[in-house]
Amino acid sequence: MAHVTHAKTLPADLSAPLFVDAWKTRALMVGLVFSVVAAGLAFADGSVDHVLRAWLLGLMVTFGFAVGGLALLMVQYCTGGKWGLLLRRPLEAMSRTLPLVFIYWVVIALTQKRLYMWANHGIVDDGVRRGLIDSDQLEAINHAISFKAPMLNPTMFVVVGLICFAIWGFYTWRLNSMALTREADTLASTPYWIKKFENLSGPGIVVYALTMSAAAIYWVMSLDPTWYSSVYGLLFLVGQGYAVLALGIIVSISLSKAEPYSTILRQTEQHDLGKMTFAFVMLNIYLAFGQFLIIWSGNLPEEINWYLDRIRGHWGIIITLDLIFHWLIPFTMLLSRDIKRNKKRLIRVCQWMIFARAFDMFWLIEPNFKDAARNLHASWGIFEYVAVPVAMVGFWVAYFCMQLKTRPLVQVNDPHLAEILEPEHATA
Amino acid sequence: MPAREGTYGLLAEFDTPSDLVRAARQARQDGWRRMDCYTPYPVEEAAEAIGFHRNKVPLLTLIGGLMGLAAMFSMETWVSVIAYPLNIAGRPLYSWPAFIVPAYEWTILFAGLSAAFGMLALNGLPALYHPLFNAPNFRNGATTDKFFLCLEALDPKFDLLEAKKYLESFQPVSVVEVEY
Repeated sequence: MAHVTHAKTLPADLSAPLFVDAWKTRALMVGLVFSVVAAGLAFADGSVDHVLRAWLLGLMVTFGFAVGGLALLMVQYCTGGKWGLLLRRPLEAMSRTLPLVFIYWVVIALTQKRLYMWANHGIVDDGVRRGLIDSDQLEAINHAISFKAPMLNPTMFVVVGLICFAIWGFYTWRLNSMALTREADTLASTPYWIKKFENLSGPGIVVYALTMSAAAIYWVMSLDPTWYSSVYGLLFLVGQGYAVLALGIIVSISLSKAEPYSTILRQTEQHDLGKMTFAFVMLNIYLAFGQFLIIWSGNLPEEINWYLDRIRGHWGIIITLDLIFHWLIPFTMLLSRDIKRNKKRLIRVCQWMIFARAFDMFWLIEPNFKDAARNLHASWGIFEYVAVPVAMVGFWVAYFCMQLKTRPLVQVNDPHLAEILEPEHATA
Repeated sequence: MPAREGTYGLLAEFDTPSDLVRAARQARQDGWRRMDCYTPYPVEEAAEAIGFHRNKVPLLTLIGGLMGLAAMFSMETWVSVIAYPLNIAGRPLYSWPAFIVPAYEWTILFAGLSAAFGMLALNGLPALYHPLFNAPNFRNGATTDKFFLCLEALDPKFDLLEAKKYLESFQPVSVVEVEY
């Protein structure tokens, strides 16, 4: 008996559905409203200090989406797999938001002297005057600043930042332009393109790991110049995978309300993406807990203070919630096969994960500042951690939607396309 | 148990999973309940087509995992706090961060073993004999490239001639009768 195919066909129009425009408008409005809120809070607080700290959080979140998206795109080119067809265009759009992230970074580069002790010794002096830094700490800080001065100084901060952005920009440009050239080519040349993408992406992943570690160290870890952890870059790397996969799932499922994603999003691939996200949830807690266990076991004065700053003085509440939010909840939810296969519920879990990742970074960033170390306290300023990142992510989403609309959402010149159009039982 | 005799069921052979799924879906719609699909690799839609219901493997896995977690964590606590209270680098006796890793390992181990053995137990495995292997095409094809639908004689609707005609309406490669 002849094999009867039951394959679905793609619609003629592969461009992004019209509701992406509505997303953009909504995101812009959220951005504007929360900008006003942030300005109001800064006025009430009488200082822009917390605006800048929260700006750093917003920078890390959007940077994670843009450069993490680029990295996942490269990983996908190396591993292959049908899920790539779902995520490739959204990931490309994420990577093309790099200019906005660069603008966000420029603000930090210009205001280094208000954030980093090594850029401005006045911060240390002020802490000593207010009794926030004792003589032992002062000695340690001064030693660290002078010892690390060749690396941690305002010029190097800018130079390293510019080099990193140039490298990410290069990969973004190459991968995005190559994708269009491949699309214009014939299906027969697929092996050539697969090799070409692999050859660019393989080394690209290594370069990404190094540059993003540099960025995480300069932008966040150096807020406390006395402390160091060799796993710090990896923590952010895994955190980016965690957030980018969550965002990718949200985008794919939301797009599936209309063509062309309603045709190509199958439960199988959605389930696969859910499983991969689960793996990142595990890897994330593995690294975070591993670092904690090693430092806790060592109990050395050089290292343990970083954790004590983040546990004592009511920070214990935050770290407990952090464990529940960014590990326990996604872990237990994603264990369930039904939730991974249910569009609505999976979206809820992914939205939660993005919030949890931001919450985790709040715990990483705020206790670096001596007024908040071992002293979690309410002020108007602390609410900037909500207002500023939400506004920044709002503008980022608007820009992302703009980028998403510039290309057809499905890559046609890909052998996986035929497979993803088949009914689900036809695949092993 | 006395040896069973007579017909176990009728076995239809298909070349593609799509044909199997369509036949199975139709059979279920037409009121067949005692039937099963046999495929060389997991075909999830076939399971859905014959009214696959939830099994208890996830529950067994969860219970096994929690038991492993509780067992290891309490063992570590008992050893460090009660049985051998040693002062290690001035740390408290109840040093829970250090207990997490082995407790986690036991969670995984117990969950994995419960899943594997629970699955086998619920499947009725190991089974030394199954009547379907009396069909030569099943012996040769079920693990390579053939897809089978078996209507079992236990179904109240089962009538040898009617059922054979019914299965043939799906245009399978063959329909054979399987003896116990």
